[in-house]
Amino acid sequence: MSTAIPPAPAPAGKKIVLEFNDQIVRQFLLATVLWGVVGMLVGVLIGTQLNFWQANFGLEWLTFGRLRPLHTNAVIFAFVGNMMFAGVYYSTQRLVKARLASNFLSQLHFWGWQAIIVAAAITLPLGFSRGKEYAELIWPINIAVALIWVVFGVNFFWTLARRREPSLYVAIWFYIATIVTVAMLYIVNHLSLPTSFTHSYPLFGGVQDALVQWWYGHNAVAFFLTTPILGIMYYFIPKAAERPVYSYRLSVIHFWSLVFVYIWAGPHHLLNTSLPNWLQNLGMTFSLMLWAPSWGGMLNGLLTLRGAWHKLRTDPVLKFMAVAVTFYGMATFEGPLLSIKSVNALAHYTDWIIGHVHAGALGWNGFMAAGMIYWMLPRLWNKPLYSVPLANLHFWIGTVGILLYVAAMWVSGITQGLMLNATTDHGTVLAYPNFLDTLNSIRPLMLMRVIGGGLYLAGFLVLVYNLWQTIRGAQPVNGTIEVFEDEPKLAATAPHLGLLDTFVSAPVIFSVLGAAFACLWMFTHDLVSILGLVAMLLCGVLAFAHWEARNKAWGSWYDRLLVNSLPFTILTFIAVAAGGLIQIIPTVAARHATKDDDRRQLPYTPLELAGRDIYVREGCYNCHSQMIRTLVPDVLRYGDYSRLSESRYDHPYQWGSKRTGPDLAREGGKYPNVWHVRHMEDPRSISIGSNMPGYPWLLAHDTDVAALPSKLSAQRTLGVPYPNWTPEQINARVMEQARAISTELRTAGAYVAPEKEIIALVAYLQVLGRSEPTAPATVAAK
Amino acid sequence: MSAPLSHEPPSRDSVTTIRSDGSRPFVYPADAHGRFATARQFSAYALIAFYLSLPWIKVNGYPAVFLDVANRRFHLFGITLAAQDLWLLFFVITGLGFSLFFITSLLGRIWCGWACPQTVFLDHVYRRIERWVEGDAVERRALQAAPMSANKFFKLTLKHGLYVLVSAIITHLFLAYYVSLPEVWGMVRAAPAEHWSAFAFIFVATFGLYFNFAWFREQLCIVICPYGRIQSALIDDHSLVIGYDATRGEPRGKVGTTGVGDCIACNRCVQVCPTGIDIRQGLQMECIGCTACIDACDDIMTKLKRPAGLIRYDSQKAFTGGRTRWLRPRTFLYGLLLLVGASVATWALSTVRPANFGVTRMTGGPYVIDAGSVRNQFLVRIVNKRNEPARFLVRLEDVPKTVRKIGFEEVLEVGPLGEVVQPLVLQQARGAYTGPFHFEVRVEDAAGRFHLERAVEFLGPEARLLREEEEEKHRHERERH
Amino acid sequence: MKPVLPPTGEESLRPHSYDGIQEYDKRLPNWWLYTLYATIIFWVGYWSYYEWFGAGRTGPQVVNAAMASIEAERLASAPVDDSSLWKMSQNTAIVSAGKAVFDANCSACHLVSMRGKSESPVAIGPDLTDQKWVNGGRPTEVYNLITKGVLTKGMPTWGPVLGAKKISDVTAYVMSRHKEGDPILVETPPPTP
Repeated sequence: MSTAIPPAPAPAGKKIVLEFNDQIVRQFLLATVLWGVVGMLVGVLIGTQLNFWQANFGLEWLTFGRLRPLHTNAVIFAFVGNMMFAGVYYSTQRLVKARLASNFLSQLHFWGWQAIIVAAAITLPLGFSRGKEYAELIWPINIAVALIWVVFGVNFFWTLARRREPSLYVAIWFYIATIVTVAMLYIVNHLSLPTSFTHSYPLFGGVQDALVQWWYGHNAVAFFLTTPILGIMYYFIPKAAERPVYSYRLSVIHFWSLVFVYIWAGPHHLLNTSLPNWLQNLGMTFSLMLWAPSWGGMLNGLLTLRGAWHKLRTDPVLKFMAVAVTFYGMATFEGPLLSIKSVNALAHYTDWIIGHVHAGALGWNGFMAAGMIYWMLPRLWNKPLYSVPLANLHFWIGTVGILLYVAAMWVSGITQGLMLNATTDHGTVLAYPNFLDTLNSIRPLMLMRVIGGGLYLAGFLVLVYNLWQTIRGAQPVNGTIEVFEDEPKLAATAPHLGLLDTFVSAPVIFSVLGAAFACLWMFTHDLVSILGLVAMLLCGVLAFAHWEARNKAWGSWYDRLLVNSLPFTILTFIAVAAGGLIQIIPTVAARHATKDDDRRQLPYTPLELAGRDIYVREGCYNCHSQMIRTLVPDVLRYGDYSRLSESRYDHPYQWGSKRTGPDLAREGGKYPNVWHVRHMEDPRSISIGSNMPGYPWLLAHDTDVAALPSKLSAQRTLGVPYPNWTPEQINARVMEQARAISTELRTAGAYVAPEKEIIALVAYLQVLGRSEPTAPATVAAK
Repeated sequence: MSAPLSHEPPSRDSVTTIRSDGSRPFVYPADAHGRFATARQFSAYALIAFYLSLPWIKVNGYPAVFLDVANRRFHLFGITLAAQDLWLLFFVITGLGFSLFFITSLLGRIWCGWACPQTVFLDHVYRRIERWVEGDAVERRALQAAPMSANKFFKLTLKHGLYVLVSAIITHLFLAYYVSLPEVWGMVRAAPAEHWSAFAFIFVATFGLYFNFAWFREQLCIVICPYGRIQSALIDDHSLVIGYDATRGEPRGKVGTTGVGDCIACNRCVQVCPTGIDIRQGLQMECIGCTACIDACDDIMTKLKRPAGLIRYDSQKAFTGGRTRWLRPRTFLYGLLLLVGASVATWALSTVRPANFGVTRMTGGPYVIDAGSVRNQFLVRIVNKRNEPARFLVRLEDVPKTVRKIGFEEVLEVGPLGEVVQPLVLQQARGAYTGPFHFEVRVEDAAGRFHLERAVEFLGPEARLLREEEEEKHRHERERH
Repeated sequence: MKPVLPPTGEESLRPHSYDGIQEYDKRLPNWWLYTLYATIIFWVGYWSYYEWFGAGRTGPQVVNAAMASIEAERLASAPVDDSSLWKMSQNTAIVSAGKAVFDANCSACHLVSMRGKSESPVAIGPDLTDQKWVNGGRPTEVYNLITKGVLTKGMPTWGPVLGAKKISDVTAYVMSRHKEGDPILVETPPPTP
């Protein structure tokens, strides 16, 4: 595979000095630091709220359910987003020897993205939410995100088109994959039907929504938090270490296997639910297959650093990057482990997952960002870093912070797994039937995690100080290189690869045929399936033999591909799109039921729907699941497992991903109305030791009945069987049900006016788990 | 005495144990003898003895370490913890982590070379078996290269047989940490089908250990283990590392040549290295700090009547002519953090009582209103973590006199390691009820050694509503008369 | 200590340089590659096992079977039918076990005498020794009532707290104060004021 690119004709013409657009890099870098502080500060605040519910200061805008989305969105899209843009813009200009194509687009990208972040920081605390994790922003902001992403893409590909460097370096491959895939994921998961300027319902509902959400959620981690950072790693590690990259062939293998395999693994977020088995098997097996490709990236970074290992002692940039790569390795080892169904049964919904995510976020993303910032600062402001000892201090405090955080979450997860699953009397009775028994046992760990997170933030503040002292009074400087005037033309004369040559080539043919035969084997029956398996294996063997015999041809084809960015981009898109299509289309086509489903959700009454929207607004899904898994401890604790068709009308689905509180899928009827009212008003008066915040304002605010007609009409469009009620009819139904609840509450000794939001919420909570029996559907999901 | 290497000469560009075709050259490190080898041997045996003896030694009637997952009771050196106390494990993990940080900042990768189970068992058990059966490095390589013969077959069988045996012993003792020795012994004597999950664990873990120690070896440290990398990043210019004194050693040359340094390029340091590096190329990712090269070089230097320590434990600062500073800001920072952590851990451990106690509401409504009263119902759960019966006094504080405590036992007896769940019902007459109030449930050890409290709220209807209801009833009655 | 570096293998570098970054073309250990192959083989095997041979069971099948065997275990440790419960109420060992459970958990409301409101007007629970029953007086009815509770009246759900065995013991103890064939007067409770 190590064929050289055919020697290019010697460049001619006048030498000119090319000045890079480093202004935009500085802007993104400063934004990274600013939003990093904000995102981590919110993280520390909500971590504190888990211990001291009073830390929301009695304000509905600062409750955990509303701020947790702010934290996740801020660190993912604001902190890592800006960091990614800074790194991408800095490295791309240098790797392709071209200034960014458009100053205007660059500035539009920057200010557009910051405006989106500010809009998010305002709307999320106000309770405007789509109710899906990392996809909470409301639809007008979604459109803005998509548009700005397109601006980023245009600016990037335009720059590629003007490149003086014919061949694309591995970092650029990862950037291309990022831009293409994030656009695809973001758009599909944000398809919604607006009911007002600030509210919409997702197009998909129930299990479909769940699948689309985790196809997106899992790959947001893959293509927002991983691939761009890997690209950044491939630029900054060899630069900082002043060492060649360890292995080009490894770059090729790990890039293609990563982008192809990652996209399939989304269903591992839904293991042990009643999701069709084939999807669960797909999620689990592809997650396991992901281990080696992920580690390929880690090892390529690490072994590149190996040649400069002795510098680790003195250079904080290398320290951060070495540890970041190590954490990437740990997180990508833990990920496949957690995707094994039996491990997942213990760990899912517990703090272990939170620990896993933060090992990646704090260790990999945060430390790569720090390493990159410390490397760039002196170069962008032409002044040595103010203090290397302070950078080291940041590193030491940061590592201690991660240690405390991750250790607390592991122990907490183990405690939860052990206690929630413990049974006595030959497995017939739960050992700790009350959820609070477990919660109270992990409270100290929640405190420790805040201390760990706080230390990590303190380390980051040291960076802020160091940065400020470095750039204060410094003169910003833009990088330059000498190029020949006619070099872009030269890049254009590089060996062209037409679309035909791109696709009619051994690597593509073998890959496509292999994948097609694999699908044939997996998704058909009998003889066709057997033939598919045989053909798939044969295809693998032939591909290997062909590669052994003709690896020069493969190598030179790939070299030609690398000088042609469009075919490269198309192939990347095909690789990432395949997995999503195969998983999602059958499920969307099969509607909501599996063949085993013996009960079906009833549509919500208008009041219940209003209550559900309050549930979504308050972000209850951040702590409560609505999914009883097909596991004995779940069934013993919460009741019969959740059928897929029991959430068929749920736009958005609210299965949740974490149980800080108990599951609510069958909450309806478990407690009287007055229990819920008192519990929402002051959770601790009912549940001794609970850490849930009180929601007294739900007893004060009135339900937004006026919005219901347009909401019901949107739901009807989405396929929920509501009659065509007039607004008056809707109002009458709402009031009738609300009065009944209010009257019942009065006999139980609590006075609440029927207009109040709490009435709607109680109506919703009391209907959770209500369904009608059906004859098992004849249509299987597969 | 100089044996040829089993691998390419180490370079800075690639890992010695990965050949250019991706295959792995098996490293046959030569024996190194010296003061470090001896010291490491003693410390390793002490550690192995410690690890393996824990399930045998009994403290307070339980093995020194017995993590009884099945019953959710954890016995650690005489202290018994319940599932509710598992959070203390946090201090164990972070304590180990902190110590690792602290020690690494001072002494470098001392953990890897001296205390890590991978090194301890590999160097002091498995390599010793190998040495005993097959001879030294030269003989081992010769045996490997030789065609199969009765002698070779016998030696290989013996070696691998012993590997498997030792692996199985380690696995069984490891299992004993979780289920206790008698239980393990019972399982060993019974048929595998009776407890096949334990059997599968033993089988898989034994195979895993065997594979790791027989073949995988240094690959674990180089490719898999994250701690080595983190430790490398925690080293600074003043941390001790194993290094080569280039100022003294360079340029290398034969004995008797003029103008050369002390290093005679005998390559002994490379031959003894278990990870296949050349320490003279500086600090490297693969170095686990096993000290073999120090002993090897000291041996040569002593024979040449030159001072020892051409390869030695020293800091980067000292190797470049400076002085190692032991007390650095970092030492103080870690020291301080360690002190804070230790204090918090001690305090946390001191808050652990020999009992746990919780109050939860009974299922159903938050309160019950009947004809004459308002009532709240709770369950009090007490866990006795001692291995003997214990008596507890349950008291209620701040409960108004008008409240009746029903079915409420002041004294509760809980069996050894037992749990008791006891209802607690509070009732207040409608007339006396004026609204919710807070009170405290307090559990005291009968011997007065400790007490635990929980703040609880007595709930009821809005007093106004109850009053209105009463008045309405009276009015009805008046109207009827 | 300046590390003494051997000459680097410049010849194995790929010819191209991007902003000064060069690339080797080295291999990773073969065993790493084998782990990738192993996971692929696992995928083929696992998928075949579940989807092809249909040998593995789905989550619902597993949990339904497990819950059925738990139910069987419950029934085995505590048969829930009238005649068995009547028989148990004659067994002194079971009855005394049931009394222990009753005294610890039920006597708060129903009093140790089991006579509740008949003994003391301020007692919470009704008399369990007379022939008047609020929710049915057959042993299985009593058993189910204890398991599920009556939320509106404050009788808690004891099922998850006590488990089947203790509930059948306590049922036996309650029924030991009655005889098979005694009249059962089901009394509707006075409406809550």
